[in-house]
Amino acid sequence: MTIVLFILPALVLFMLLVLAPIALAAYSSFFKWNGFGLFPTNFIGLDNFTRLLEDEVFLGDLWRGLLLIIFSLVIQLPLALAIALLLNQKMRGRAFYRLLFFMPYVLSEVITAVLFTMILSPERGLANELLAFVGLESLESTFLSEPSTVMYSLMIVMTWKYFGFHMILYLAGRQSIPNELTEAAQIDGATPWRVFWHVTLPLLGPTIRITIFLSVIGTIQLFDLVYVLTGGGPVHASETMGVTMYEFGFKRFQVGYASAISVVMFLLSLVFAIGYQRFVMRRDTEGAITNMRAKR
Amino acid sequence: MSTHARDKPAIQVVRPIALHTVVIVIGIFVLLPILYGVLGGFKNNQQLSTNPIGLPSPWVPSNYTDVLLSGDFWIQVWNSSFIALATTFITVGVSALAAFVFARFAFRGREFLFTVFAAGLMFPFAVAILPLFLLLRFFGLLNNPLGVILPQAAFGLSLTIIILRQFFRSIPGEIEEAATLDGCTPFGFFWRILLPMARPALATVSVLAIVGSWNNFFLPLVVFNDPGLWTLPVGVQQFQGQYSSDTARILAYVVLAMVPALAFYSVAERHLVGGLTTGSTKG
Amino acid sequence: MSLTRRGVVTLAATALLLAGCGSSGEETPAPGGSAAAQEKVTVEWWHIQNIEPMQPVWEAMAKEYMAANPNVTINITALENEAFKAKMTTVAQSGESPDIYQTWGGGVLQQQADAGIAKDITADIASWADTITPAAAAAYKLNGKTYGVPYDIGMVGFWYNKALFAKAGITAPPATWTEFIDDVKKLQAAGITPLSLAGKAKWPGHYYWAYLAMRIAGLDALKQAAAAKSFDNPDFIAAGQKLKELADLKPFQNGFLGANYDTPDGQAATMGNGKAAMELMGQWAPTVQKDTAKDLGEDLAFFPFPMVEGGKGSATDAFGGGGGFAVGADAPPAATDFLKFILSAENHRKEIATGALLPVIKGTEDAVTSRTGKMVADTLAQATDFQLYLDQAYPPAVGQQVNDSVAELIAGTKSPEEVVKAITETAQSE
Repeated sequence: MTIVLFILPALVLFMLLVLAPIALAAYSSFFKWNGFGLFPTNFIGLDNFTRLLEDEVFLGDLWRGLLLIIFSLVIQLPLALAIALLLNQKMRGRAFYRLLFFMPYVLSEVITAVLFTMILSPERGLANELLAFVGLESLESTFLSEPSTVMYSLMIVMTWKYFGFHMILYLAGRQSIPNELTEAAQIDGATPWRVFWHVTLPLLGPTIRITIFLSVIGTIQLFDLVYVLTGGGPVHASETMGVTMYEFGFKRFQVGYASAISVVMFLLSLVFAIGYQRFVMRRDTEGAITNMRAKR
Repeated sequence: MSTHARDKPAIQVVRPIALHTVVIVIGIFVLLPILYGVLGGFKNNQQLSTNPIGLPSPWVPSNYTDVLLSGDFWIQVWNSSFIALATTFITVGVSALAAFVFARFAFRGREFLFTVFAAGLMFPFAVAILPLFLLLRFFGLLNNPLGVILPQAAFGLSLTIIILRQFFRSIPGEIEEAATLDGCTPFGFFWRILLPMARPALATVSVLAIVGSWNNFFLPLVVFNDPGLWTLPVGVQQFQGQYSSDTARILAYVVLAMVPALAFYSVAERHLVGGLTTGSTKG
Repeated sequence: MSLTRRGVVTLAATALLLAGCGSSGEETPAPGGSAAAQEKVTVEWWHIQNIEPMQPVWEAMAKEYMAANPNVTINITALENEAFKAKMTTVAQSGESPDIYQTWGGGVLQQQADAGIAKDITADIASWADTITPAAAAAYKLNGKTYGVPYDIGMVGFWYNKALFAKAGITAPPATWTEFIDDVKKLQAAGITPLSLAGKAKWPGHYYWAYLAMRIAGLDALKQAAAAKSFDNPDFIAAGQKLKELADLKPFQNGFLGANYDTPDGQAATMGNGKAAMELMGQWAPTVQKDTAKDLGEDLAFFPFPMVEGGKGSATDAFGGGGGFAVGADAPPAATDFLKFILSAENHRKEIATGALLPVIKGTEDAVTSRTGKMVADTLAQATDFQLYLDQAYPPAVGQQVNDSVAELIAGTKSPEEVVKAITETAQSE
């Protein structure tokens, strides 16, 4: 009785507002529907999905998503890790820097995007003025206005916004590694690089795996930042699945088609999450469970 | 460390300098956009185009005072605050009850149910926004604060339950046994003993819920049509459209919209960081 | 005992949650009939004249109306064009609309009517409907029912900077597409950016394709294509090819793909600051230039879109539209009464006097005093036929696709054939 009463509110809320929408999206994705009326009626089978596979914009979304993920893995996360290890050193003002670097994460995506549209404005934005100021006119750019540069600009903004978050996680992970371990290695004559490669990095494994997970899931669902920063443009060059879904669902009144995009986003997240948990993070979870058992 | 460093006095001097240089450069990268916003808000549009980098001259406070004196800004601050608090109250309340059961009761299907909840971690709004919108329309919750509060609470359940369950589990069973011997019902134990003990964990999940709600954009964007209900992120985005030709004023608005979040961050930093690290390393 | 209490609390909480879901659906219906006259009513008014000179004029009129009708409160929300369009899409989906809101008529308004958010006001405005010029009212009459009233009518054409034309040695505005292309080259040779374009906003780009389609295929072909849901016609491909020829000359300002229309580095400001020689824009162009940059004064002039040699369309066919107001399905009677008030001859003259709008009420034509306003009005008066903006005339999905595909054509990522194919596919998916 207690069990039911205690879980019921959470269950009702969760089923009604998390599971039901996903089910509804799955259902509407088989219909041609402009969103008016209670339920869709014009069943078209898998047409929305076959149309998706031929939609260049959507295929481009997948490609751009992959690009952003690669960028995160190759540049953003290593950078965050490097900064975390830097801040793990004894130095003056360490706490202040940690506070500062994490700060952008607290600001909303909208604020970040509005601020950066001004900074990256080609005519009188801060970025170009600064480049000119330090004598790097050759690097001046139209940033968000050019299909060839918009993704790089987006990556810079994403780095600004998110590196602090990953850094904080790495710092926490690093601090849970006993210093004796790295010191012992140093005393044994290992170079700092070898210490990092053979001691610190493996011990940071669980944290790194988590940040990769969060990065990938976050990229699949990226919307706010891109929507306000570029609207997905110019000519779809920075569009994400979320933006395409919004475009069709809310602007073009093709709710069935937009639902199909939601479903693909959902499936991608699900397949990735399950696969990742199963093949990559399994060791960590097992470790966590045995830890818990040991504690009890 | 010190024995090691004694052999290399040169490095002892050079390294901190190099370290500080790198850190300061990153600091500038982080701070510059914000500084540009703060200073830009004190310029007029003409200064912004002729003197984008330097200090304002003269300083023009009217952008800030105009925003502060306009009712819209304060209405949005109020809306954001109200929605954040209501969301937090519901998320934490409902999650605490469920986490308690997940942590301290054994029953059939517990792990399955828990996994279902935990799976919610993977699906923030972007995935469900469209059907959620249709569902809210069906319930008549569009243009109603509940239309944002309830879904936010629902989507916040996963993380909150995970963190709280973790914490509730760590409280030794002996305490519960002692409480039961004293005649405490399960709810009594939960209410009078567990919750007070869980204050740090509750603070952590509350801070996470507040920040999540405060920054949410997509849901209020589609749910609220009435400008009187807009939250700060929606307000900022609309303000940018509204005064598209008045860059200085937009900067002032953006900077002022940052203030509550930064103030909150400076107070609750410990809980926020603690929550994120436990939430993600143990989830 | 405490168990029952706990049960009650939880049940109450659950009930509260569930009740919250149902309650607000039962919005009070709009008060009907004339008995409502003295009841307190609020009219939500969303318009897009968020800048000088119109914004204060309408604010003053709303105050005047409220003073005369103390039971009516008018709540104004003045949104910027893009913000309004973005917001209106969720409003349309939500099924609840403001009592009075901006519309351009056509297929978008039709969809709002189908969705039940726009009200059939044929009967409500019957007493004064004949004061509106028929040409202006046409876009808001759908299948014999009236869903809106116009407050402005005009057309799209090239606004050009006479000083820059003179600098490039161009003496008269081009009358044919060949001359136009020549002039673009002359301007470039003189180091002047020929055209200003808001690539991010997309709708300004579709004007080029629409006009070329009208000039080459003819207006009837465009109307037939919409009805038959097929744009598969070599003439439309030819229109795309002409536009591609133009785009290949790179005649637009630096970074135009990311430019908005009315931001400080947008299309209007580039034109107003004298950094480009022409923009293809509607009657409001001078107002927005003035607001975002500066007034070009006597240097600003207007010429209609040139004819295309060998094309089937007439050079005097006009493309464009104005602005109008639709009335929300649940709006109180005061909403239409207020529309009647702001469109009275006396008030409409005040609106026209700002130079931002052109007359839609019979007998107010002489109120146009601004030089640029007269240029558009005179050209429009000679128009042989009229086509509404394609992104408003067609259903939203098709209109958006036109904007989108043409933007890609201008950016060079789509071919003229692909544009026609994409538009046709979208039209058929409706």
